[in-house]
Amino acid sequence: MLSKVISAAYLALWISSCAVTSAVDQYMIRALQLMSETPLIDGHNDLPWQLRKQFNNELNKVDLYTLKTTHTNIPKIKEGRLGAQFWSAYVPCETQYKDAVRQTLEQIDVIHRMCEKYPETFMFATSSQDIIEAFNMNKTASLIGVEGGHSLDSSLGTLRTMYKLGVRYLTLTHSCNTPWADNWLVDTGSEPSQHNGLSPFGKQLIVEMNRLGMLIDLAHVTVAVMNQVLNMSKAPVIFSHSSAYSVCPNKRNVPDDVLMRVNNTGGIVMVNFYNDYVTCSSTATVSDVADHFDHIKKVAGAGIVGFGGDYDGVTRLPAGLEDVSKVPKVVAELLRRGWTDKEVKAALGDNLLRVLREAEKVTHTHTFFLLLFFGAFSQKTVTVDRQERGREMGDDPQQRTQPTWGASRTMIISMIIFNWLWNQKIYNFLKSLFLLCLLSLVYKITVSQ
Amino acid sequence: MNAALSTSTSLYRFVLYFAGAESKLGRELESSYRLCAVVGYNKVINKLLFNHLAVVREYTIPSYHPRIYHSMRCEAQTMPSRKTVISASSGLWMKSLKHLVVFSSLCCLISGYSERERVHDLMSRYPLIDGHNDLALQLRILHNNQLSQIDLYNVSKVATDITRLQAGHVQAQMFAVYVLCGAQEKDAVRLTLEQIDVVRRMCTEYQDFELVTSAQELRNSEMKHKIACLISIEGGHSIDSSLPALRMFYQLGVRSMTLTHTCNTPWAESSSKIYNIYQRQNNSLTHFGKAVVEEMNRLGMIVDLSHTSWDTAWAALKHSKAPVIFSHSSSFSICSHGRNVPDWLLHDLKKKQGLIMVNLHSKFISCSDEANISRVADHFDHIKNVIGAESIGIGGDFEGAVSFPQGLEDVSKYPALIQELLQRNWTENELADVLRRNFLRVFEEVERVRDRLSLNRPSEVQISVKEVQNPCRLVLRPPDPRRPSDMSPSSRAQNGPKGLLILVIPLMLSSLLMIE
Repeated sequence: MLSKVISAAYLALWISSCAVTSAVDQYMIRALQLMSETPLIDGHNDLPWQLRKQFNNELNKVDLYTLKTTHTNIPKIKEGRLGAQFWSAYVPCETQYKDAVRQTLEQIDVIHRMCEKYPETFMFATSSQDIIEAFNMNKTASLIGVEGGHSLDSSLGTLRTMYKLGVRYLTLTHSCNTPWADNWLVDTGSEPSQHNGLSPFGKQLIVEMNRLGMLIDLAHVTVAVMNQVLNMSKAPVIFSHSSAYSVCPNKRNVPDDVLMRVNNTGGIVMVNFYNDYVTCSSTATVSDVADHFDHIKKVAGAGIVGFGGDYDGVTRLPAGLEDVSKVPKVVAELLRRGWTDKEVKAALGDNLLRVLREAEKVTHTHTFFLLLFFGAFSQKTVTVDRQERGREMGDDPQQRTQPTWGASRTMIISMIIFNWLWNQKIYNFLKSLFLLCLLSLVYKITVSQ
Repeated sequence: MNAALSTSTSLYRFVLYFAGAESKLGRELESSYRLCAVVGYNKVINKLLFNHLAVVREYTIPSYHPRIYHSMRCEAQTMPSRKTVISASSGLWMKSLKHLVVFSSLCCLISGYSERERVHDLMSRYPLIDGHNDLALQLRILHNNQLSQIDLYNVSKVATDITRLQAGHVQAQMFAVYVLCGAQEKDAVRLTLEQIDVVRRMCTEYQDFELVTSAQELRNSEMKHKIACLISIEGGHSIDSSLPALRMFYQLGVRSMTLTHTCNTPWAESSSKIYNIYQRQNNSLTHFGKAVVEEMNRLGMIVDLSHTSWDTAWAALKHSKAPVIFSHSSSFSICSHGRNVPDWLLHDLKKKQGLIMVNLHSKFISCSDEANISRVADHFDHIKNVIGAESIGIGGDFEGAVSFPQGLEDVSKYPALIQELLQRNWTENELADVLRRNFLRVFEEVERVRDRLSLNRPSEVQISVKEVQNPCRLVLRPPDPRRPSDMSPSSRAQNGPKGLLILVIPLMLSSLLMIE
């Protein structure tokens, strides 16, 4: 009799537990389904720094399949459905004014070698197109972000060569002032402000980053720099691993007014999972992390939120999010809180892909003008050429220089003048004025033909 | 239609008047028009559009059909007329004397013309690949790398610019991204990155330049009639004793590195003793130095031994699996300067099928501040006697030195050197080798060695701390570099049983006591 009662009790308990877990499982299943359709793009992971600290960058002594001393390894990446990752090429602030550049090159090199050593898992990427390609091949797209302007040693040449090496974002400062930008410790009062934001050289750097198509990362900078960059930058900006200030008032997080400005400019804020920035204390839960997502969505919309876990760069992570395999729990929690599929996909990867594409477009805007403008007219010359080509080469040369070449000649001259003027650094309004005049001139000519 | 033509002609005249036919704008217009006549307007428009993109994203300009360029070349070579009419005079003697004088001068003129013609014809078919030019250094010293302030077609105070390179039939130039030895242990890496950046910008912003990174691209740029730019590092101090930095430089397009400049590095010795740093006995190319050479072989970067001491050069020659070069060194037998190469080292170079590219600086040619073309040709003759013409090239070292021989003051004067060699009975085959084929052979062999070593992993050798201590170098390493990875697991394993033992022993003792 007793055994029957006990077995009935156990049965009831088991059924109820199944019901509970299946409810949770339903959100997890949906989360995993969404993560198989859109890549999870994480904005910041310090595994290269751990490789340096623990193994001296000696990849031959490490097996990323069995590595146990870091938050990230290949099985965990697969389990966590990581679609793309910005690996951080970070060197500490002590190297500023010493050998920061060489050490940053070594970190960039270890990321390249890691991708070469495990080509079945990682695919090195430098554009939004590459990320989509890697995702379709079921690999994790690997991009590079340099964490800290001190890695540049105040040199635009270094910025350009690092861009050539594949670096696609630069965090303007880490936790130390550079000769041209202030870092977040200035806001806490523990360091004096040196530039009230950005110095004139810092502003030139922003212009050059826009021209190259490199994303500007505003994690770790002061609010003054955030506002100045949001004023100046033609491309959207990112916060690769910062959370919401209203939820946890740590100066590393983003205040609400800046969140709204990021929304106006189409940028992205990728939420950091470090306990001290999530709950402003040493413990946190998955729910606390989701609170940040909710707050950003409430203040500025789901179009600017993303994931920037800061794994392997921090020591205290929320309970249930101890390593990169647990990130789908956050997605499940968001779904549980009523986020729509579209909003979740935006947070996973669509927002960052949009930002990357915009940044790539900014480098092309002035050439787009040219293409758009002259492309329409090159059609005319194509047809003219074909007619001319139909004849033999041994034709009377007089006949070849017919009046039909007039429009093409005008176009060529105007293009050469335009090109030359562009390179002379004439002010923007003069440029647009010239473009307008040219447009009207050529239109007039073609209409009169 | 007439309106269009008149507008275009007036615009053309307007531009030429205001900008001037010699300015960059005027010249660009002229060249575009000449090109139009050959390849058609559409292609020129596309080319202009692509050039604009190239400034921003460094696209490569599409190549044209070689047939068109052959026809263009024939146009450029307009022969001067040779025949002159000899006028009649009064007396027979006077007549014959006059005939004789005129005839002999004509002969000289014709032979002179035909010599020059021959040289230009040879150099058109085999345009020069020059091993060393320090224009990037001069751009930094004179203009602070601000390319927007100068016109590379005509640069003042230097010996190199595009116009003169084209006049000297230089088809490929290795530009050295040299930084001063004083930057060693300071910011050499950053300065090198800036120099690489200026060469890359220079070679992508000017249509007559093309940045190349392989032998095949070099050959293609010849078909396209562009001057190929190669990047070379001058001095191992640029890599700050770091193999990852070497790899990143390779990815930026550097294809050759001189192991030292005039200062020793922690791992290789220089021929010059100006600086008293990193001096050691009997260890000219250290273990790390050999690792550098191996990694250069694996990457496909040419090992350059100019400026290195003879011991270092010998050690590198022995260790390298690929052919090596001396990008700007001459013969020690003709001028005994420490920068030049002695005959025994030339023999070792020959065994490895390497290349010595003769430096034209007067101090290395005649060991004094003055020299002439004949002395330069002596170097060539001597090296040919020792190891043959298939191991010789030309590395002018323009911009990297102050005094050059009479007649070879700048990069447009190379034909004068080739003319002297022709007069010394060098065959056209040998000169074709010297001008370009030897370098291409060495470069292609270096690439073949790279392909053979492609299964090797990137080297992880690190220089030991005591070999390279300096206050600007931070050591971000685990405390004991000799046992990095087997520290933590083994220590945990030891701690486990120890703790257990400590727990068990008092229990056993207490149980013993209890039993009693």
